[in-house]
Amino acid sequence: MKGKKRGADFSVCLKILLAAFFVVSVLLPLIAMLVNMGSTDVMKIVGGAKFQKACLNSVKVGAVTTLISVPLAYFLAWSVTRTAMPCKGLFMILFALPMMIPSISQGTGLILLFGANGLLTRLLHLQGNIYGFHGIVIGETMYVAPVLFLMFSDVLTYEDYVPYEAAQVLGIPRLRRFTSITLPFLWKPLISAVFTAFSLTVTDYGVPLTIGGKLKTLPVLMYEDVIGLLDFGKGSVIGAVLLIPAVIAFLVDLLTREQSKSAFVSKAFEQKKDRGSLALATAGCTVFGVFVFLPIAMFCALMVMKNYPIDLSLTTDNITKTFTMSGGEYLRNSLVIALATGLLGALIGFLTAYCSARMSSVTSRLLHLLSITTMAIPGLVLGLSYVLFYKSTFMYGTLAILILVNMMHFFASPYLMFYNVLGKLNENLEAVGLTLGVSRARIVRDVIWPQCIGTFLEVFAYFFVNAMITISAVSFLANSVTRPIALLIPQYEAQSFLECSAFVSILILVSNLLVKGGVYLLRRFLSRREIV
Amino acid sequence: MSRIEVTDLSKCFGTKTVLDHVSFQVEDGEFLSILGPSGCGKTTILRILIGLLEPTTGTIRKDGADITSVSPDQRGMGIVFQNYALFENMTVLKNVEYALRFRKETKGQARETAENLIRRVGLWEQRDKKPGKLSGGQQQRVAIARTLALKPDMILFDEPMSALDVDTRLALRKELKDIQKEFGTTMVYITHDQEEAFAMSDRIMVMEEGKIHQIGTPEEIVEKPADDYVRRFVLENLQIKVDSLSRFIRAEEKR
Repeated sequence: MKGKKRGADFSVCLKILLAAFFVVSVLLPLIAMLVNMGSTDVMKIVGGAKFQKACLNSVKVGAVTTLISVPLAYFLAWSVTRTAMPCKGLFMILFALPMMIPSISQGTGLILLFGANGLLTRLLHLQGNIYGFHGIVIGETMYVAPVLFLMFSDVLTYEDYVPYEAAQVLGIPRLRRFTSITLPFLWKPLISAVFTAFSLTVTDYGVPLTIGGKLKTLPVLMYEDVIGLLDFGKGSVIGAVLLIPAVIAFLVDLLTREQSKSAFVSKAFEQKKDRGSLALATAGCTVFGVFVFLPIAMFCALMVMKNYPIDLSLTTDNITKTFTMSGGEYLRNSLVIALATGLLGALIGFLTAYCSARMSSVTSRLLHLLSITTMAIPGLVLGLSYVLFYKSTFMYGTLAILILVNMMHFFASPYLMFYNVLGKLNENLEAVGLTLGVSRARIVRDVIWPQCIGTFLEVFAYFFVNAMITISAVSFLANSVTRPIALLIPQYEAQSFLECSAFVSILILVSNLLVKGGVYLLRRFLSRREIV
Repeated sequence: MSRIEVTDLSKCFGTKTVLDHVSFQVEDGEFLSILGPSGCGKTTILRILIGLLEPTTGTIRKDGADITSVSPDQRGMGIVFQNYALFENMTVLKNVEYALRFRKETKGQARETAENLIRRVGLWEQRDKKPGKLSGGQQQRVAIARTLALKPDMILFDEPMSALDVDTRLALRKELKDIQKEFGTTMVYITHDQEEAFAMSDRIMVMEEGKIHQIGTPEEIVEKPADDYVRRFVLENLQIKVDSLSRFIRAEEKR
């Protein structure tokens, strides 16, 4: 059994290597942050008026945003999956746009539209008081709703119509059908969505930083303490508090996640064609679509205007100015970071998912748990942990640490995508290889990997887009040389270079659209070739 | 000549005993069915026979040589899994040819062997299709051809018919027997279907909860069932099938 033993040794080595990687890149930094709390007077910080005010603000913003964005996202998903509404493709692209720009751009966009000098403020003679609580809620809703929309669309697509047919045959009234079929089916995804919305909102600092005005949330406080005052102790305490909603969201998601979602639908829903439903769906989607598109249109307009709102003549000055202020170098930083995050992240995601999905051992289950745990760590917290843990290593201040932090920050979803695909492949492939005298590694290379290329591309795009737009994990780790371009937005805003900041948002959006489009075309090309 | 001798084979997973000290022989060129309900340990026997699992106790001898810890590909055995485990990303031809690339054969030889086998199992028209485009029965033939490519003197089948419809099963039964005759391979066939076991086997091994109740030819089992379990599980079940159909046959005779 020599050959078998050698193969086993190889896979054990791989698993140990991956586990060690997670310990160094997630667990130890997190522990470093929690230990750092020990050197501060936790009670004094938690008891402070400033902290309690921010805490209350965060909870309020989170609660209201959740209340608005969950029904909104469900309505949008219902429109797209359950009605015969026209232009579905266009709407889906529109709803995806907010996920391709930094959350901080949502805030900027709202200010440009509804702020004191905002376009709509002037056109519609509004008050221009977008700053504060309701501004944050609107911005966060635009940031969170598209994510929930994707969750709900997925769930609704996989709902089976057969129980409804049976209920109809049995003469069960409409209301009972809703309470006894729809609700039990939606209950788990709904809870999952609520916690996702709350935790995304509460841990984001992009929107409240730009549009919050005097209203400060916990992440903003943490950002100011760490960036402005270099108070790592206080930052750690807030970080630990921010971990709480994220960990709860993670646990809820873990408990409510369907063990194995039935991937086939025996009978699909009939799409509603009646006038009322169509009008409602089209109107709702149009309003939201326009709302998320307006800021982007505004960015496009602003970046080629001389001096909004005084001089509206066209110019390329802002673009040149951005590039003379090293915008080009920061863009290059971002592209390098995003490409490396995408490639390395997808590779490590594939290997980890392979070990946990296709080998059964204690290490496999441990790897699985470590991988999905990354979901529970907000970017800001991970970033601060990295500062504290890697401060005196060679990694600090390099692009490498930014790549690593992004990879771990966004690791969970890509990992789960690979995990699902690998779990669905026939369980005996490696065994067949063994009996045919083909090693595990060769089966992975020749049989398993080729069936994962589509997922690999999808995962690459996911990492790339998120690495381009993130400002949370990287904000504490980047220096003037390694800074990614998204961090120029808060900087330009602080310097009142709104036109340049608009241009930066568009640069990020265009890069993301190019990569997403490229991946889409490549996948289509690959699946066409498959048919031959 | 190839004869398998299994002595005192046990397998425990933790505290659970799946196989409890079983011993049996497989004769050269025979078709042996292992018949039993799910969870009786039949798949475990198969995986130990081919070397995917290590037994807790016991030895396996092939033609007198101890192969208990020989690696799976050195045992001269092939296996067809329940849902075939075909390489979905490769064409039929590539599936059959794949393992040959790792042997000493030249590319030309490998291609020729694969093409001959594909013709033999009647899939020539389908050779450039991928498994996803084939019917269940066709997929099974690919799995058999892939196994035959390495010229094993013994093929193990893990409930290969369970996903197929009745017509395909009946056709494949005959085909399996034809292949056995043509290639002279010993076949060990796992099933929980009594009728299937009786229709195909030279000998049947009846199992329950990790133990062997009886090994014998179909005739021996019918005439001298070893115990109550064999009578109940095998004979009564067959009787029900016979009863339910015989009245139609009698009606036909009367007319």
